[in-house]
Amino acid sequence: MSAASKQVTHVEVPRDGVRIRCQGVSKYYRRTAVLDAVDLEVRDGTMLGLIGPGAAGKSLLVKIICGLVAPDEGHVFIDDIDVTRLRERELQALRMRLGMVFQNYALFDFMNVGENIALPLRMEGRSSETSIRNRVAEVLEQVALPGIQDKMPRELSGGMKKRVSFVRAVVRRPPIVIYDDPTGGLDPVTSAKIFRLLSDMKAQGTTSITISHDLDGIRPLCDQWLLIEHGKTLFSGDTSAIDQCETPYVRQFWRGEPA
Amino acid sequence: MRLTSVLSVPFAMVGRRTLDIATEMGGMTLMAGAILRRLFPPRVDGAELMRNLYNVGVKSFPIILVTGVFVGAIMVIQAGLYVEKYEATGFIGWGAGFATLREVSPIMIALMFNGRVGAKNTAEIGTMKVTEQVDALRTLAIDPVSYLIMPRFIAMVVMMTLLVVVGDATALIGGAFTSQFLLGVDVQLFFRSFVDLIHLEDFLLGVYKAITFGIAVGVVSCHFGITVTGGAVGVGRAVNDSVVASAIWIFVLNYVVTTLII
Ligand SMILES: Nc1ncnc2c1ncn2[C@@H]1O[C@H](COP(=O)(O)OP(=O)(O)O)[C@@H](O)[C@H]1O
Ligand SMILES: [Mg+2]
Repeated sequence: MSAASKQVTHVEVPRDGVRIRCQGVSKYYRRTAVLDAVDLEVRDGTMLGLIGPGAAGKSLLVKIICGLVAPDEGHVFIDDIDVTRLRERELQALRMRLGMVFQNYALFDFMNVGENIALPLRMEGRSSETSIRNRVAEVLEQVALPGIQDKMPRELSGGMKKRVSFVRAVVRRPPIVIYDDPTGGLDPVTSAKIFRLLSDMKAQGTTSITISHDLDGIRPLCDQWLLIEHGKTLFSGDTSAIDQCETPYVRQFWRGEPA
Repeated sequence: MRLTSVLSVPFAMVGRRTLDIATEMGGMTLMAGAILRRLFPPRVDGAELMRNLYNVGVKSFPIILVTGVFVGAIMVIQAGLYVEKYEATGFIGWGAGFATLREVSPIMIALMFNGRVGAKNTAEIGTMKVTEQVDALRTLAIDPVSYLIMPRFIAMVVMMTLLVVVGDATALIGGAFTSQFLLGVDVQLFFRSFVDLIHLEDFLLGVYKAITFGIAVGVVSCHFGITVTGGAVGVGRAVNDSVVASAIWIFVLNYVVTTLII
C-alpha cells in the first residue's frame, strides 16, 4: 500500500480546518479555458455557495473536486490529500468521505429506488441486509417519501428524483457533500423541503458545496460564496463581503437586478 | 483553395481515419487489460452477474433458435444440389453438419448475438455514461469496471458459448427435417452419417470460436459504451461503431482460430 492510500483510509480533519481546497484549477476544451485558475477553500462544517450563470463551469468544477475529471492545471485537496495525484483505486477510498448529488439525478435506471439507495451500503459490505433495508426505509421517511422503494426512477417526478438522489448520496453519512443544483426545476414547496434537508445536514456538521440559482434559498445556508462566469472568478468571500461588493456584475447577480 | 491543399484532402481524411482506428484499438486494448486485471482474482458483483446472465441468455434464446433452424435448413438445401447429382444421400448429414458446426453456426450466431446483445450493451452502458450514472457509481466509491463491465463481459462469453451449442443443435434438427421433407432423406440416415463422420473436434472448433467471439463482442461493446460522449447522438454513433467493429473482429478471429487449429 502506498503512503497515499494509507492516508486516504484514515480520515482526519486538517489542522487549519480546510477540508476542500482548490488551487489554480484550470480546464481547457479546444484551447478555450472553461475554468481559469479557480481557487476556493471550504472549512469544516461550513457551506460554500457556488453561483454563476449557466455554462460558467460550476458543474465541471465540482466534478474536478470529486476526481471525476482531471484538471489541466492546478490542484485539489480533500483533507490535505491531493486528489489530482491519486490513482483511481486511491480515489475510490477517498470518495468514501464524499457524497455528490448530481444536477440531472444520475439515478441508476435499471434499479428501483430501494436498490439505488441500498447500493452504496451493499458495496461497503459492512451491514446486514436487514439493517440496510431498515436504513433505506428510514432515510426515505426523512425526505417525506416513505414506501417508494419498489418504484423505478422513471416513475418518479423531478422533485422525487432529486430527493432520492440526495438520499443515495448521503446514506453513508459522508462528512463532505456536494449538491449540484439540488432544487433546479422544482416547485417552491419542494424546494423549501430540500433546503430544509440541506440545513439539517449542515446542522449535523457536514461540510458542503452547493450550486444553486435559487439565491434566496441558499442565502441563509452558505457561509462563503464563489461567483464564477466563463470559468473566471468574479467574487470570492463571505456573505457580508458579497453584500457590500460594488462590482456591478456581482451586485446585479447577487441582488437579482436586471443589467 | 490551392491545388496542393485540395490534393491533400484525401490524405488528411485517410490520416484522420487511421488515427481514429488507432485510438479505438488502443481503447479496446485498455478495456481488455482492465477486464483481465479483474479476472484474477475475480472481482465481480454476484447479483449483477446473475441479472446479466438472465438478460443476455434468456432474451437472445428465441432469435438463436430461429437462426439455428434456418442455418441448418439452408445448409441441407445447398448440399442437396450435389447429393442429388451424385446420389450421395449417405453423406448429407456429414456435409451439412461439418460446415455448420465448424463455420456457419458460430459465425451466424455470433453476428446475431452481436446485433442483439452487443448493440444493447453498448447502448445501455453508453446511456449510463451520458446520463452520469457511471460518474455516480464512481462518486459512490464503486468501480464501474468491476460493477458494470465484468458481469456483462462474463455473461456475454458464457452465453455466446452456450448459444452456439444450442444453435448447433437446432441447426441439426432443422437440417434433418429439411432433408426429410425436401430431399426425402430419412432423418435416421441423416443422423447416422453425422454421428459416423463428424468428430468431436468439429464441434469443439465451433465452441472455441464461440468463446473468442464472446470475448470480442464483450470487450468491443463495453469499450464503445464506456467511451461515449455527446449525449443521445453519441450513443447512437457508438452502437453503430460497436456493431461494425465487433463484426470485423468476428471475421478476423474466425480466420485466426481456424488457421491456428487446423
Ligand atoms: N466534457 C466536456 N467537453 C466539452 N466541453 C465541456 C465538457 N464539460 C463541460 N464543458 C463546457 O464547460 C462549460 C461549463 O459547463 P458546466 O460546468 O456544465 O456549466 P454550469 O454547471 O456552470 O452550467 C460549458 O461551456 C460546457 O460546454
Ligand atoms: Mg451545471
